[in-house]
Amino acid sequence: MVERPAPPNREFYESMSAANSAVDPITGFLNRNAGLQAVARAVTEANSKRSLLAVLWVDMDRFRQVNDSFGHAGGDSVIVRIAERIRSGVSMPGEFVRMGSDEFVVLIPGLDRIGAERLAGKLLAEIEMPMPIDDILIRPSASIGIALGQVDDYPLGLLERADRAMIEAKRQGGNRIVMSGNEPVAGRLGIQLAREELAIESALHAALESGGLQLEYQPIIRQDGSVEAVEALMRCSVHGLMIPPRKFIPVAEKTGLIFRLGEWSLLQGARCAALLREQGSAAKVAINVSRVQLTSTSFIQALHGALICANVAPELIELELTESLFMDLSATVQANVRGARAAGVGLAIDDFGTGYSCLSSLKDLPATKLKLDRAFIGVLPRDRRAFAIVRAMTQLARDLGMIVVAEGVETREQLDACAAAGVDATQGFFNACPMSEETLLPWMKSGKQK
Amino acid sequence: MTNDSMNLLPSVDGVLELTIKANDIPPRPLIIDRIRAAMRKDSPNFNYVGQLIKSDVGLAAGLIKTANSPYFGYHKQARSVQDALMMLGLDVTSRAVAAISLRKAFPNSAHYERFWDASARIAALSGWLAKRVQNPKFRPEDAYTFGLFRDCGIVILLRRFPAYTQTLARANNDSERLFTAVEQQDYPSDHAMLGCLLAQNWWLPEEICQAIRHHHDPSAIDLFESGLPLTSRYLVVISQTAEHILQQLTGASQTQEWPKLGSSCMRLLSLDQAMLAVLYKDGEELLKTID
Repeated sequence: MVERPAPPNREFYESMSAANSAVDPITGFLNRNAGLQAVARAVTEANSKRSLLAVLWVDMDRFRQVNDSFGHAGGDSVIVRIAERIRSGVSMPGEFVRMGSDEFVVLIPGLDRIGAERLAGKLLAEIEMPMPIDDILIRPSASIGIALGQVDDYPLGLLERADRAMIEAKRQGGNRIVMSGNEPVAGRLGIQLAREELAIESALHAALESGGLQLEYQPIIRQDGSVEAVEALMRCSVHGLMIPPRKFIPVAEKTGLIFRLGEWSLLQGARCAALLREQGSAAKVAINVSRVQLTSTSFIQALHGALICANVAPELIELELTESLFMDLSATVQANVRGARAAGVGLAIDDFGTGYSCLSSLKDLPATKLKLDRAFIGVLPRDRRAFAIVRAMTQLARDLGMIVVAEGVETREQLDACAAAGVDATQGFFNACPMSEETLLPWMKSGKQK
Repeated sequence: MTNDSMNLLPSVDGVLELTIKANDIPPRPLIIDRIRAAMRKDSPNFNYVGQLIKSDVGLAAGLIKTANSPYFGYHKQARSVQDALMMLGLDVTSRAVAAISLRKAFPNSAHYERFWDASARIAALSGWLAKRVQNPKFRPEDAYTFGLFRDCGIVILLRRFPAYTQTLARANNDSERLFTAVEQQDYPSDHAMLGCLLAQNWWLPEEICQAIRHHHDPSAIDLFESGLPLTSRYLVVISQTAEHILQQLTGASQTQEWPKLGSSCMRLLSLDQAMLAVLYKDGEELLKTID
């Protein structure tokens, strides 16, 4: 390796960089993200040309045993060799994707049903060859689901049909091939959700690489008209299309992308707090934190990191947590909640009153703010019972040293009712809609909120 | 960070003199978002991107200088922004613009210049080394970008805490504890975490962000269960090896990182002492062209 002189070889370098940009480092196949895009492209092309397209979804059987027995290094070396077998088993041009740790997708344009079944049979045979690993001969096997392109396919519909067929092959005991359409029909809703999740995951990756994330800020306004805080709300848009948080947050939590999204929003929120302070405002920035984020052992370090980067005092930052998090049994979650408070940042109980509100534990919570759920506020002022709860909760939280905020205030009457109940501040469309940082800064300066 | 740049650190008073502004996270220039947007198009408009870059003279000059860096090894000289764009491609261009802007965002003092120069040399050696060990698991330009951004958290800590200078000196000389553990004794976070947050803020790829976060942690590199992507591990060992070669060649910049991470580096890159000796020799030639 080092004996060879290193001539500056531009062609080699360019071809390498072009080839590797979307590649799974272990197998040399396309990585999941690039694979999803390749499938979407191939489906669009097959649709426009009315040509054939086949997808084989290959999933290793009992791969976990390999990992458990030989460690991840051993597992990786098996994956490398399986990938070689798959590639050498396919003689026609196509795309190879590593979808997950032990899942591969082979995409072959122009292949018909008979050809696809023949190819899958050949791959099963190749994969089944005994494989020596650490002096032990293992016999790998795989389950393969096949799907064929249909007229007017949804871009990822093909992939999702292959996946379902593969799952059916597994269900039948593995080491077999199932053609899509021959498996029992799954519930329509399930299919819809799986399809959407794949698309959202792919969009989130694109957003993280291309700057498609943004925070918007919704002001929380005191009874005297001053701004107590602004709540940061994450927005994600890819190719001009907005994805609502209720859709992308669950996918981010499922895929682990939430850690990066969460850290990103800590720094962005802290930056905004510093900008507000620079223009003379003492308004806090409230940042939403999910349970998954709090399972990270480096959460507190990241929080401090964001404060240091933005050069902002912890008192200007507030974390919004759902009430169940305060009572979470996980030691890491608990340590992070207490650690955040110890760092000096405020803690708000979000959407209070809709979960398992436990009055006895309220006295021990390290929270500094209580946000009453919109469910109580939306029915004001007509619902006297709701009003009674709001008034009593406000008094209780006050006595416990917390600031009380009413969420979802949409009318003048609701605002007045909140004032009558003694609520400290309100948040909702009646006061102000969420706005970008560029809009927020001049808005705060202008004093229009008063 | 190396002692080389440490030696030129200004006195504590000198650091105090630097205006610590309320909000001086190096802003992510709008231009990066625009280049990224252009890259997403099926047929990116190079002329448009060229116009964007040309509107900032410092950026244009920096980009041409980057394209002509011996690290890239082009036979042709870039004479215009357009040349540089065609040679580097949009992806490398957007990272180069990020790196140039990051450097421009900090005050132009001798101290910071030395810091960035040290980073630039490690980056160039990393890119070169990545090409030498030719491993399909990482791209040389990622190794280069990583080298530039790896220690940017140090600059932030120096700006915020004048006393960090002393922490830095101790971390550089500690042969037992992890570099970041020494920092965490004095501060609630460390330069690796800060650097990672900044890199995320600049939309750098996840592998680079993770590599920045764990670049002083041998267990993250060695243990498969650490969950650190393989590409990130390679980026870390490439840059640590590059820094080690730099230290060997210049003699001045001694840290304790090679005793802590060297064996992991050699293992992951499949290097032995003889190969390392060859790299010292060839690195020396390269270093002459960098300086």
